[in-house]
Amino acid sequence: MRAKKGIVVALTLLLLVSMLAACSSNKNVEPSAATNADGASTGEQAKLDPVTLKIMVPGDRPKDFDAVLAEAEKRMADTINVKLDVVFVPWADLAQKTQVTLSSGEAIDLIFDAPWLHLTQQIAAGSYEPLDDLLQQYGPNILKNRPQEMWDANKFDGKIMGIPNGITFVQGRVYYVRKDLREQLGIAPIKTYDDLIKFAYAVKEKVPNVTPMVPAGQDVKKGLSEGAFRHYWADNTENITPSPALSESLILYTKNNDGKIYNLFDQMEPMVWSWIENARKLYQDKIISQDVLAIKDESELAKQGKVAILPNNEFGVKSDIQQALKSVNPDAEFEAVTLMNQEKGAILTNALQYNFISVPSVSKHKERAIQFLDWANQKDNYDLLAYGIKDQNWEAIGDDQYKFIGSGYTWFPYVWIWNPTTDRQDAAQDDLTKQLNQWGADVTNFTMDKLAGFTFDNTAVVNEISQYVSIESKYYTALFNGVVAPDEHWAKFKAEAAPLAKKIQTELQKQIDAFLAAK
Amino acid sequence: MGFIREITKNRQLYVLAIPGMVFLALFSYIPMFGHLIAFERFQPVKGLFKSKWVGLDNFKFFFGGQDWLRVTFNTVYLNLLFLIFGIGIALILAIMINEASSVILKKISQSLIFLPYFISWLVVSLMMLAFMSSDGLLNQWLQQIGIHEINWYQSTKLWPFILTAVYVWKFSGYFSVIFMAAIVGISSEYYESARIDGATRLQQIIHITIPSIRSVIVVLMLLGVGRIFFGDFGMIYGIIGDNSILFPTTDVIDTYSFRALRQLGNFGMSSAVVLYQSVMGLVTILLFNRLAAKIDPDSKLF
Repeated sequence: MRAKKGIVVALTLLLLVSMLAACSSNKNVEPSAATNADGASTGEQAKLDPVTLKIMVPGDRPKDFDAVLAEAEKRMADTINVKLDVVFVPWADLAQKTQVTLSSGEAIDLIFDAPWLHLTQQIAAGSYEPLDDLLQQYGPNILKNRPQEMWDANKFDGKIMGIPNGITFVQGRVYYVRKDLREQLGIAPIKTYDDLIKFAYAVKEKVPNVTPMVPAGQDVKKGLSEGAFRHYWADNTENITPSPALSESLILYTKNNDGKIYNLFDQMEPMVWSWIENARKLYQDKIISQDVLAIKDESELAKQGKVAILPNNEFGVKSDIQQALKSVNPDAEFEAVTLMNQEKGAILTNALQYNFISVPSVSKHKERAIQFLDWANQKDNYDLLAYGIKDQNWEAIGDDQYKFIGSGYTWFPYVWIWNPTTDRQDAAQDDLTKQLNQWGADVTNFTMDKLAGFTFDNTAVVNEISQYVSIESKYYTALFNGVVAPDEHWAKFKAEAAPLAKKIQTELQKQIDAFLAAK
Repeated sequence: MGFIREITKNRQLYVLAIPGMVFLALFSYIPMFGHLIAFERFQPVKGLFKSKWVGLDNFKFFFGGQDWLRVTFNTVYLNLLFLIFGIGIALILAIMINEASSVILKKISQSLIFLPYFISWLVVSLMMLAFMSSDGLLNQWLQQIGIHEINWYQSTKLWPFILTAVYVWKFSGYFSVIFMAAIVGISSEYYESARIDGATRLQQIIHITIPSIRSVIVVLMLLGVGRIFFGDFGMIYGIIGDNSILFPTTDVIDTYSFRALRQLGNFGMSSAVVLYQSVMGLVTILLFNRLAAKIDPDSKLF
């Protein structure tokens, strides 16, 4: 009996000890890795001590990723000698997961961030290392691959806090339009917004079980609300654009590139109001889906062939949507229609990029992280990481196009290495899309925004912003998709939010004036 | 002295309790220090004790507007509906299944009502959209029987009840299993003697079954009351999402602060909201526990 009790005690203790050990074992690894990094900054040619970089990016792990990693590590073995531990975070968890990772101080060496995620907040919180010196020393290819305008415009307080991964100076804005339905209805290719609406009404009248138009109704995608989306089109001659403080909302806005912040609550802009009223009409005529606010993912409906028109933020039609649609109905096809003004200089650009990769300040391998990215910015290596293993995952078409073979590898260079110099275009795209992409990648096609390079520091009005944002989410998408009566709803919105918007506007204008004065 | 003697006497038992206590300390007590974040401009890099103290600044965003009253009311109101209907219907189900004489029927119905518990909220929300969208199944049926269709996703007033129905559908099976376990534990002698005295089935249920499991019911209620200020975020956000038309009746504290803070990623403000919820929850559970103790001393929690 006594022996038995002894065993129980021993087992319990064992369990306890192993639990505690599991808690602390992570920490034991760090010091040895850190000492390796210290001796590592001697330049590229000499073989360095092995270091494993932990990289966190959004998306799904491609099937053949391990083979690509193995090849990459083999190529690096004799020089920078980096092993890669790439963590893919599902899109849905991205904001939370990256936030928690950064705030818990977990040792990550490279992490994806973006202005639409929490880049500015993380910079304000001191999570990221300034990269200017590191890039000068270790990143010649990274610097060379991106034009100077892009570097200038994507600094934060004058410092490079993340490497911009992008190739365009203007984001593509299109409507996906069901080409098969358009041809079936005998309607000519769509050139103007009026053409589009005519098509929508024809669909409503003659095609059963297809919703003419499904804009986005969720607050996170409020820029794709029908009324708000129209500010991208050619009839917005004054360049009405959301302000840098609330990047998707038209309530505070700039126009005519005059460096001033306007406020819709002070004075309603007739053009914006006409967009709201037009959306209301479309909703009441059942052109806009009656469930627009309840639909969480409009592209799902599009894939099922239930939508004739939906907005999207990229030139061309995404191949997964096109393929899914065709598998439901082989005759169905989407075409991408843009109504953007393509005259030289008509559109403003702030050259701000949408995707960045940053080095967290807790990283113990900052030099090596930049060395790795520099390596990845060389054409051959870029091809490997962006498209997979040549002739197995993809084939090169000329020097600047690619075609995937099978589905072993997916396209995601924008999370870490995308740049205009080494980028290849998808050969499967139609000529119009390729042409538009080229147009967007040439900075001379656009007028530089006065506010390019400006970032808003929200610490002074952080309470107002959080209050304002929660109020706005009650009204914005409903208003801009025409779900509610505009006059009444606007009055309520204004009564609740106007004082907060005013405070944000005042603070923003103050910072902009200081920025312009310093320029 | 008594304390030490107690420990030495039952030391083996206390050793057995250590893992549980360590677990509780690690995951329930130590995280309480996190409430400090509510009073500072928290910067992860600087850590908990070196970030700047800002007093009650973080509470301003929540209590500054008028919405906090509405979302607090919605949270409590919806949770009360969930609690009363969830537990009430689960109780009825448990008794009905218990009274069924066919064993096969018992097992099948038990499994069927338990099944929804395993469906994730995301799937539930997709099912609901297919069911209740403007051209969804429900409206098609309504049209067939000649009733004018209803735009469900814009009928603000109906949603507390729709959500309650969904909650009951999803959780009553789970609760009823707990009740059934309690019912099985009732000694069959009570029922036998009641039958000899000529009690009907209904009388047996009212006078034997329900009183015998009263403490289980009260404990479940008390646990629910303790979390009455915490909205079921997975459920409400999964189903309602950003549908602003429905906010007046469905927006709870958790979804409200999520929307306000998702772009800012401000730890201090979110901690402030959680602290508010915790304090209110603590107060209510103390109140209700005292109430329970007054009515029936056996069923109080502590």
